Amino acid sequence: MTTRRGFLATLAAAAGSLPRLAWADAGSPAFLAAARDADGSFALYGVGADGTDRFRLPLPARGHAGAVHPTEPLAVAFARRPGTFAVVLDCVTGARLATLDSPEGRHFMGHGSFSPDGRLLYTAENDFVTTRGKIGIWSRDDGWTRIAELESHGTGPHDVQFLPDGVTLVVANGGIETNPAKGRAKLNLPTMRPSLVYLDLDGRLLEEVVLPEAAHRASIRHLAVAPDGQVGFAMQWEEMPETAPPLLGLHRRGEAPVMAEAGEAQARLMKGYVGSVAVSRDGGLFAVSCPRGGRAVVFDKAGALVQVIERADVCGLAPMGAGFVLTDGVGGLLRLEGGRLTALGARARAWDNHAVSLRA
Amino acid sequence: MTRRTALAAPLLAALAAALPALPARADALVDAVVDGVIQPRFDAFAAAAADLARTAEDVCDPQSDRLRLAWNAAVDAWIPAQTFRMGPLEEEGRGLAIAFWPDPKGATPGALRRVLAGDPSVYASAETYADVSVAARGLYAIEALLYDPDLAATGAGAGATCAVLRAQAGDLAATAAAVAADWRDRFGAVMKTAGAEGNTRFLSAHEARQALFTALVTQLGFDAETRLGRPLGSIERPRPARAESREAGRSLRNVTLSLAANEQLARALATERPELLWDYFAYAERVADRLGDPVFAGVEDPTGRMRVEELKTAIERVHDDANDELAPMLGVTSGFNALDGD
Repeated sequence: MTTRRGFLATLAAAAGSLPRLAWADAGSPAFLAAARDADGSFALYGVGADGTDRFRLPLPARGHAGAVHPTEPLAVAFARRPGTFAVVLDCVTGARLATLDSPEGRHFMGHGSFSPDGRLLYTAENDFVTTRGKIGIWSRDDGWTRIAELESHGTGPHDVQFLPDGVTLVVANGGIETNPAKGRAKLNLPTMRPSLVYLDLDGRLLEEVVLPEAAHRASIRHLAVAPDGQVGFAMQWEEMPETAPPLLGLHRRGEAPVMAEAGEAQARLMKGYVGSVAVSRDGGLFAVSCPRGGRAVVFDKAGALVQVIERADVCGLAPMGAGFVLTDGVGGLLRLEGGRLTALGARARAWDNHAVSLRA
Repeated sequence: MTRRTALAAPLLAALAAALPALPARADALVDAVVDGVIQPRFDAFAAAAADLARTAEDVCDPQSDRLRLAWNAAVDAWIPAQTFRMGPLEEEGRGLAIAFWPDPKGATPGALRRVLAGDPSVYASAETYADVSVAARGLYAIEALLYDPDLAATGAGAGATCAVLRAQAGDLAATAAAVAADWRDRFGAVMKTAGAEGNTRFLSAHEARQALFTALVTQLGFDAETRLGRPLGSIERPRPARAESREAGRSLRNVTLSLAANEQLARALATERPELLWDYFAYAERVADRLGDPVFAGVEDPTGRMRVEELKTAIERVHDDANDELAPMLGVTSGFNALDGD
């Protein structure tokens, strides 16, 4: 474990003499994804656009998602909910630069994002004492210490990302109360109230989107932000899957959300559960993965169904090239571009829930 | 940690070397299941649905024994086919158009009333009926017309009921034929060529085996959780009215047929003799045989409830043991992400 002082010394030395490393030094991966290897150990992989491994960094436990530094080969891997730690990894050397421990009475939710300049890391956290959601702020320049926190203005924030303006945060408040003493159990399903909120950098609530009462059991959990500021929010239905409302919503600041209707049959096949969401680099397509339904479903930016990809246990989804990369729990790695699906490889590993792209 | 990394690398290399050794094109086990289990089941269902459509052309009185027999034969043939939900049944919403159940919102009766009271051109033919809401199509919608006297009496009278029945049966036969043909002409080959160049549905033979195993445990789970779990409800609130095909009196029969079909599939998948799985199947089948409660009406009294719960537990044991014994034989696991729930 690197001490803060030791790290700062290294940083000072690096800043004084050597240029900072870039992603090219880590093999220029297109995206990062955690996986369980065939021997049962967990690792974070950097994968190229051609599907080849660019690096493998061991993880101490099952990961959920990662945060990718915008310019330098640094990644933050979050432990799976209700994890209380995240590790900052140097993707060139594999060194663990720091371990972020959530404060007493808090745990991470599995997602976080860097500020556009890469100096601050924002983490979604559950304050399980007050059951109020928090967004933690950690400073790289201060040796990855926690310097502040914001209210998430909701319960159980799961994902937090920046809008393209760089000064607005969008948060998916899942609405579900959990407590590590009760494992992963969901404690307030009858009264849950998820929300999509926008915050300024001081944590002021700029806008809140709440679903109609009939959809209050649709937990808003994952986000994808398009270059024009349109936000895709993906949901998990905490009720019988047959009664699920649309599970992808599209929203622009100041407007009403548009729900992406998949049609009667396709909606049922999604099994009430979306594992992740991604938007193509041009902002034209939103894709959601449904590991329980064994499919990825692609919509256009107006919310119209474009394409369905059937793949067992597909979950990881990230923009790549002009389309997307898909990863699944049986090791599959596929590229979807121009409506065409191409296999990039089948690995002897189970890809975890999320794939995170590097900045284009 | 360092040690683990050091161990993992050779292991991964060994696995990577072992993987291509699996046949890229032909997996005898997958071939045998597709040709010997799946295709015959969908062919049998298509034949039974076609027979139902022909019968409805002859006689379309909902009280007719001949028609009810033909419908029951179609359901008997559907239950074994239902296990294989991947591919053709998922395309174009065919699975739902054949079997719209469970129906937690109770959509079927309302959808049928709207059809019966509406424009006759909608049910003028099997083809026009294919555009109706799936809640008013398929086996369960036909059951409602055959066995719910109130429903049959609404709308434009016996003429309308008769025409709707014929349209439904013709539509069902067309869907069943399309599914059987899709398995024969396309998807069977997709499974059998798992791992071949350009096959993005199954990147390896391993994935095709995984899909077959998943189909088995998913169906066992559905029988326990949905076919039995829905009428069981909770002790405070049993829900006998939620039993599948209660009107036709065949809730238990569906479970029994599904068990037998799933045992046949499990035997086709087992590459060696499991220690316990066949005993667990046999036990569950015995419990079903002596249950003597065709629509699980007993869930409301303690003794009757215990018997239904006993069957549910017995099927859960089969399900869990299939995971324990069959999965390692096939080298597969249950869904990593599907079970994660986050």
